[in-house]
Amino acid sequence: MAETHDDNPALFEEDDHRAVYIFAPAGHNSSPLQEKARPVKRRRVSSKRASAAAEVAADAEGETQSTTTAAAFPRLFGGEESAEAAGLRRQVFDTAWPVLDWRIKNVLREANRTTLENVSSFIRDAEGDATRGTRIPAGFIITGPNIVSQDLLFEQLSEALGKATQARFVRLRAAGAPNLKAALKKVIRDATAQVSLDGGGDGDEDAEVAFGRDGRKYLDYDLEGLHAFLGAQQDSSRRVIVAFEDSEAFESSLLTDLLALFHSWQGRIQFSVLFGIATSVELFQARLLKSTARQLFGAKFDVVQADLVLDNVFKSAIAGTQATLRLGPTLLRRLLDRQRDQVAGIRVFISSIKYAYMCHFYANPLSVLLADEKSLTRQLLQPEHIQAVRTLDSFKAHVEAAVDARQLNHAQSLVEDDSYLVKQMVEQRQKKQDYLMQLLRSLHLLTSMDLVPGRFTDLYVAALAGGLDLTPTIDAIKRLGADDVPALINRLLTAIQTGSPDLDLPGWEDEAEELISSLSEIRDEIEALAEQAREKGQQALKSKFTAQSKVLRTTVVAQKVQLSQDTAKLTDEDKAFGKAIDSLVDLFTHNIYSDPIDSLFLHEAWAYDAEAPYRDVFVPRPGTTFERALTRPHGYLGCECCSKAAGTLSATLPTTCILYQLYLETGSLVNAADLWSAYYALVGEESDAGLGLGEREALGRFYRGLAELRLMGFVKQSKKKADHVAKVKWLL
Amino acid sequence: MPPRRKSTDQHELVERPSRKRPLPADPYEVPDEDDAIPSAKRQRRQSQDGGTPSKRNATPRKHVDFLQRDLVPVPEEPESPTEQTPSKKRIGRPPKAATGGTPSGKPSTPSALRKKQVDETPVKLRGLNGVDTPSRRGIADRSARRKSARALIDRVLEGAVSDDEDEEQQIAREIYESSDEEEDENAQQENLADQEAELAATTPSKTGRGRGRGGRTPGSTTRRKKSPTPPRDLPPHEQYFYQNKPGSNKTSNNTLSSLDLLTHEEYFSLLREDAQKDPHEEQIQALQSHHAASFPQWAFELSQGFSVCLYGYGSKRRLLHQFAEYLFSSSSSSSETNTKNNKIIMINGHIRTLTIREILTTISAAIDPTFRLPSGNPLAMIQNLFTLLSSSAPKTKITLLLTSLDSPLCPTLRKPQTQSLLAHLSSHPSISLACTVDTPDFRLLWDSSLRSSFNFAFHDCTTFAPHSKELDVVDEVHELLGRMGKRAGGKEGVAFVLRSLPENARKLFGLIVGEVLVAFEDGQSGGGGEFVGGGGGEGPGVEYRMLYNKAVEEFICSSEMAFRTLLKEFHDHQIITSHKDSIGTEYLSLPFRKEELESILEELMS
Repeated sequence: MAETHDDNPALFEEDDHRAVYIFAPAGHNSSPLQEKARPVKRRRVSSKRASAAAEVAADAEGETQSTTTAAAFPRLFGGEESAEAAGLRRQVFDTAWPVLDWRIKNVLREANRTTLENVSSFIRDAEGDATRGTRIPAGFIITGPNIVSQDLLFEQLSEALGKATQARFVRLRAAGAPNLKAALKKVIRDATAQVSLDGGGDGDEDAEVAFGRDGRKYLDYDLEGLHAFLGAQQDSSRRVIVAFEDSEAFESSLLTDLLALFHSWQGRIQFSVLFGIATSVELFQARLLKSTARQLFGAKFDVVQADLVLDNVFKSAIAGTQATLRLGPTLLRRLLDRQRDQVAGIRVFISSIKYAYMCHFYANPLSVLLADEKSLTRQLLQPEHIQAVRTLDSFKAHVEAAVDARQLNHAQSLVEDDSYLVKQMVEQRQKKQDYLMQLLRSLHLLTSMDLVPGRFTDLYVAALAGGLDLTPTIDAIKRLGADDVPALINRLLTAIQTGSPDLDLPGWEDEAEELISSLSEIRDEIEALAEQAREKGQQALKSKFTAQSKVLRTTVVAQKVQLSQDTAKLTDEDKAFGKAIDSLVDLFTHNIYSDPIDSLFLHEAWAYDAEAPYRDVFVPRPGTTFERALTRPHGYLGCECCSKAAGTLSATLPTTCILYQLYLETGSLVNAADLWSAYYALVGEESDAGLGLGEREALGRFYRGLAELRLMGFVKQSKKKADHVAKVKWLL
Repeated sequence: MPPRRKSTDQHELVERPSRKRPLPADPYEVPDEDDAIPSAKRQRRQSQDGGTPSKRNATPRKHVDFLQRDLVPVPEEPESPTEQTPSKKRIGRPPKAATGGTPSGKPSTPSALRKKQVDETPVKLRGLNGVDTPSRRGIADRSARRKSARALIDRVLEGAVSDDEDEEQQIAREIYESSDEEEDENAQQENLADQEAELAATTPSKTGRGRGRGGRTPGSTTRRKKSPTPPRDLPPHEQYFYQNKPGSNKTSNNTLSSLDLLTHEEYFSLLREDAQKDPHEEQIQALQSHHAASFPQWAFELSQGFSVCLYGYGSKRRLLHQFAEYLFSSSSSSSETNTKNNKIIMINGHIRTLTIREILTTISAAIDPTFRLPSGNPLAMIQNLFTLLSSSAPKTKITLLLTSLDSPLCPTLRKPQTQSLLAHLSSHPSISLACTVDTPDFRLLWDSSLRSSFNFAFHDCTTFAPHSKELDVVDEVHELLGRMGKRAGGKEGVAFVLRSLPENARKLFGLIVGEVLVAFEDGQSGGGGEFVGGGGGEGPGVEYRMLYNKAVEEFICSSEMAFRTLLKEFHDHQIITSHKDSIGTEYLSLPFRKEELESILEELMS
């Protein structure tokens, strides 16, 4: 309607009237091509139906193919980057991410495995359980408050239970099932749909199947229909599992009705129910009627908490040796904080990691250095790459360090000699590997000591940011008794032997012979000392560090308290024990260490620590954006005329900006007439600084501005007074 | 009341030295408060300490004891952090309530007193709200003053006095006088008290009275000034409470009635002229091309399973269109087969009739034009769609480009069900979604699970481009101003309504249209056509009585009852309006323009 008046060809597009359409740009020769393609396609389709199964197999391949044939990244260095380098970056990304993706998926699958097994065995066994009677088997799954992780769990449950028990699995959410009828409809629809999907039948058919063989039609919320359907499927078990994902959100009356109904159908359809419970079973039971609770035959299952899953994902995807790219401490801390504060869910965490990878390889030309040695040839490195390396902060730091260490030749060659620099860059690969190994091994040793409480994630982030801090661990070691130290050393030895499967860190016995031998020496020594001491009748070895060595004595002499400090006498064994502890601590400080990640030369090529893209892309602040655009439009437009009017009114501002400024000053009701006169006073003919707009012209703009304010949800209609609008937004 | 007086004397005895004691020997010291004010005032203040208990204690005798007991610790009071008494005492306490012998425990007096007291604890309030309390207090004082003045005048005029009334009168006089006194007090005194109060409020640990500082009080005087404009630079939440205070919605009664509102035709002719004049045209173009530079990035994000969401002020429809062109050309340039398998579907979210079914059927048509997606429950449709998608031989990639995902003007898209369906769609590996949003609070549409299945990557795309296509500006504004409801979707709406009405009603409407058109003619030829209402394209009205007579003549109805019934139907559909003029004659008019009426009449006659 309105658009037809606009005959400006540049702005006018026919398609704007259509709500939905397939895009085919005019002028592109594809539209006739498509016309031609249609009949061809039709023929192919008819043949396709026959060989659908073969195509499904091809599908799976298609997915992997599509990633390899993907377009290369745009060239960087202002377009100077060679296509090969850009392609190589893409290739590195395409190989780096799937490895991690696979590992993460594995971790997630593993995380809920025990729960899944328990639940399915319960559901399976419940049938044969004689004590059950006619009660409905009910699994109470304590999921905790994180609904996003629940989603994953129920997805896995539906997969696992569908396989294990050959039952129909129906997931109910409170939002999708507001009343009994809707809930039943959903149950019946989902229970009947699943099989038709498996059967590979066409969409047209399953509507018939759903309503029984004999052609009788049932209402779509009639369980009789489901019964008939199950009978038609010749499904002997006739089992349906209904999962209430957010059971707390369901009305208790609805739950009661549903359960009563399921119970009454129990003889014909084997219903089992699962409840996702965020609080506790007791609270849940309190919400049900006693009679309803009596119809349930329940068992309780715990779920691995989201925190633990997060830790595992973190270990394998971020800290693990498989991770090509290292995420820097600033970014990591922010990611972890968001997980903790906002309960953002593990999937958001994973996509954030993925996004960091994408950013790094997309926008950092030096990421090409992460390619393996075969594909990274000398020719690939352009002068731009070399120059880029020389502008790095870590390069400067490296050169300065060399100068300080009086390695002047080294420094000079770095700055001047390109081939020398390239050689150094290649050497850095090994240094990076060494650094990572050292970091991970140290962390692994620290965590396997298990002396200081703390999560691995925090430890890792802290180590990246400022190097490893051993002080709390050393303090803990010093307080250890003679019996604990050998156990500790044994733990360390096994840790070195086995490595860490979570981190994908193999054992490094061969490389750490020295450490192993000194550790075992100390262990033997301490054990010998303890033996000696026992022979001498001493109760336990004491070192100079243990708290008991100094005894505070309180004596009451003539009603006055006397405090005296008494240094307990240390035996020779005690002294030797102290020395052993000292050497142990010494050993640790030499073997467990790590530098901050940004102390390494060329770390920019393999570490990503930019927080801004992550923040902009995942935690947008649209309020601020809108406000900035509306109050200081020249920040976006960069125009001369509005730059003076920072935060104040000026006639040259876009209309909506002026109206917004006026809007800010109003109360909760806005008189449109006054708004108009204020606007017109600013831009109209009579105003001093105005543009001298005529009344109708100004009114046209005013209309547009007001309509845009409404579109952005700033104002809404108000019936309180004539020609008034209500203000809706305060907090932007 | 002698005992009472005595008590205040005692109070004074006790209190006096205490007040002096903590004062430092300050050369800048302003004259002691107690010395500076008239004795009546002092008495009032001192008696006030006993005021509260007096309400509770009916007998004066007891009261004295209570007071004494209560007053002994007063010497310590100046040291205590909650030293607010000076400011509290100074203002608005009815002065002779005690001295003048008001019987304590009188129901009327205490309640009045209490009310007063509620108004006068400014110290705490100031901490929160800073700006307006002094003025509010002033208002309260003034209104009390005004009331008491009126009461006094009434009293004088009537002359008759009963005992009770006498007391009331007393109070009124006191209020009145107190205000006089108060105004007599020098400004410094006020500032001093203010300063103290503030001091007590902000730095409670201060032991000194801080009176020495009372000498310089520039800040407080300016602060007390009432500013005509609301305070600027309040944080948003404060602003909300400030602007939503009860009774603060004072807007003028101006209306736009004097203004001839725009019609569609005029708006678009204005727009055409205006488009050439826009001083920011160039910058908007530059901004657009700046955003267009990130097309490859967005395409990359889409290919990696993210959904792209563009937000920011300005229309992003054009940008999205360009993006579609970019996607199309990049996919067609890479290989021939890709073009067929990469389908781009544009969805105009600003179109109000958009339904999720329409989207789904279009997608299925894009995958396979021959396939007819069985309509039904959208969820089932999606299931079918996914089956189709996975069975389509060459892997088809669908890119959905959706404008105005959150448009407040399009309620269907904002529904949670629609959003979850879209999320479900976009979570499919071969369907990717890029959308634009218009409001700053779009994030509230999605809970965390929806958000994670959308897997959004957000981008700030402030374009400043006009929403020329998304918005029907004139209708939007008229609806916003409440001028829209008067017509049921224009001419077509009328035709639709009439079709569902009986023959008689149609005839009657034709009659009204004819009469109104005649009135139009009269009005143009300078006749006495009665114009009803202002602007909004509303035409002249026809007289109710005359219309009824004509309807009876033409056998449309036989009684006024039936006539009313017919009219009610029109009223319900808002296709007529009625109006009474100053002498009570009822007029009926039609909220349409002349040309529209003519075409309606044509349609009715045909």
